[in-house]
Amino acid sequence: MEGKVRIGFYALTSCYGCQLQLAMMDEILQLLPKAEIVCWFMLERDSYEDEPVDIAFIEGSVSTEEEVELVKRIRENAKIVVAVGSCAVHGGVQSWEKDKSLEELWKTVYGDGKVKFEPKMAEPVENYIKVDHRIYGCPPEKKDFLYALGTFLVGSWPEDIDYPVCVECRLKGHPCILIEKGEPCLGPITRAGCDARCPGFGVACIGCRGAIGYDVAWFDSLARTFKEKGISKEDILQRMKMFNAHNPKLEEMVEKIFQGVEE
Amino acid sequence: MKNLYLPITVDHIARVEGKGGVEIIVGDDGVKEVRLNIIEGPRFFEAITIGKKLDEALAVYPRICSFCSAAHKLTAVEAAEKAIGFEPREEIQALREVLYIGDMIESHALHLYLLVLPDYLGYSNPLKMVNEYKKEIGIALDLKNLGSWMMDELGARAIHQENVVLGGFGKLPDKATLETMKKRLSEALPKAEYTFELFAKLEQYEEVEGPIIHMAVKPRGDVYGIYGDAISVSDGFEFPSEDYKMHMVERVVEHSFAKHSFYNGEKPFMTGAISRVVNHADKLYGRAKELYESHRDLLRPTNPFANNLAQALELVYFTERAIDLIDEALAKWPIAPREGVEVKDGFGVSTTEAPRGILVYALEVKDGRVSYADIITPTAFNLAMMEVHVRMMAEKHYNDDPERLKYLAEMVVRAYDPCISCSVHVARL
Repeated sequence: MEGKVRIGFYALTSCYGCQLQLAMMDEILQLLPKAEIVCWFMLERDSYEDEPVDIAFIEGSVSTEEEVELVKRIRENAKIVVAVGSCAVHGGVQSWEKDKSLEELWKTVYGDGKVKFEPKMAEPVENYIKVDHRIYGCPPEKKDFLYALGTFLVGSWPEDIDYPVCVECRLKGHPCILIEKGEPCLGPITRAGCDARCPGFGVACIGCRGAIGYDVAWFDSLARTFKEKGISKEDILQRMKMFNAHNPKLEEMVEKIFQGVEE
Repeated sequence: MKNLYLPITVDHIARVEGKGGVEIIVGDDGVKEVRLNIIEGPRFFEAITIGKKLDEALAVYPRICSFCSAAHKLTAVEAAEKAIGFEPREEIQALREVLYIGDMIESHALHLYLLVLPDYLGYSNPLKMVNEYKKEIGIALDLKNLGSWMMDELGARAIHQENVVLGGFGKLPDKATLETMKKRLSEALPKAEYTFELFAKLEQYEEVEGPIIHMAVKPRGDVYGIYGDAISVSDGFEFPSEDYKMHMVERVVEHSFAKHSFYNGEKPFMTGAISRVVNHADKLYGRAKELYESHRDLLRPTNPFANNLAQALELVYFTERAIDLIDEALAKWPIAPREGVEVKDGFGVSTTEAPRGILVYALEVKDGRVSYADIITPTAFNLAMMEVHVRMMAEKHYNDDPERLKYLAEMVVRAYDPCISCSVHVARL
């Protein structure tokens, strides 16, 4: 890319953690001579949402009608659109109950109260616009940002990881949480890249980087293992859906394992 | 100029966490209306976790907010442990508070240097200050890095800490790490003090001077801190945390996905660093106590801008406090990382002091699942009071250049350090 790269960081509905992760990187100061921040409300008061940019980073899930319009405008103005983090890529934890109706969720929290904006059930950015690249995680690791920015700046793009957290966990030599502790670890179906961070602390993976792409997430195989441990279908689905609620294969593959089984 | 209505709006307030805007409507006889629009979408955290397994719900709650994910995690875990009748050992509690302090240090450093200071120095963006304010940016990064490193070591990472689990920690740091943490905290102390001196020099706008009701968690153990089981009000009233719903009444307002809260049903109130200082300065100790004594006139209860300085005071206090808490834990070394926890049925309320103020979690557990959840965040508590202060500022400046008024209105909002993402996760009615 020639001249300064024009970068925009846009937020939909989220915890702002992906932006915070980027803002917390001291390396960002080294980026400044090469980049111009056109829009980044979290840090920049002179932010412009509708200006053309080379790279648009979008964090958050589409959760209001206003955000549907916003992502469309971002797409029109950007050469490269990057969905950042679990919310933008997978709809985020706020999609956990996507099978319930918006009305039902609204009533639980707001009762009969009304507001003047139009809420929606949370959805990944890709449901509305074409996304060129994804940075996974809740939040993404700092190195994910470095890798993505580095590749964009040299005119290339980041490659997706297509192997599970288990690979990194084995390389690190951590005890297997699933086999040795019997806990429902989602490492086997979750996209690697975190260096098996949580298993390293003795905590079962909750799948925050989302299921591995290219249809290689073996929900069925892991569901079988969970089933053998006595976990119910509903509980397996709930755990796998925490960060994968919009995955089109999940339900069908778990269902397969329980066909003909009385619960 | 009859019936001329001039809307002065900031659609998206910059340098805060989350999406919110300010709308000021001016008519011919002055300011008609002031609204803080909270435009971030709803995420229904209470609703989506009902019926879910307790440990999974506890993994999801911190995702309410990244700036205070440790606060959410630790408060949710405490409410859950109260519900199931489990009390963590003192040394585990001490280390959890050190983790919480990591969040406090990081959050305050980010807010003060990256979000607030640029306004005072005339920058739109903190990154632009790098060349001229090397020392300040250096200190900001050092304090921020210290806080996030503490969360990495104790919580597994700086955002969304999975290492805090029912009964304790997944894995405890080793002794050498805690020793290093003490050393780094001691080295940070002069930087925290420099921050206090720096912010003591900044203007606190007299336009927003006036009486404020302050609420803060009454610290457990009578030392200024984060955990407590009662709420104190600056009018002298005090109530047990379980009664929060009686005295902090919420209402849905039309222009916001976040509800507004009122003390005893009618009065807006403030919570946050200045409220903690106003209500509990007598429980400070060490260097922070001295700084408080010598700067009482600036740390006054009548101006929301004093919240910035109160945060700087807390940087000093919590740095020293973390060292003492680590010593408490080390005195009991070696300690067991995690206890087997029996998940019994029950109901628990936890109130803690998040960086921005009182955070409430009320959880009911039935058959290992969450059967009721009510979460109220500091920003949601503060919204009504924030509107009052933006209105006060607008009433003095509505005849000025609209850009100037916008700037000042934003500065008022920023002094509260609002966490707008947080505020959208309001309780059931």
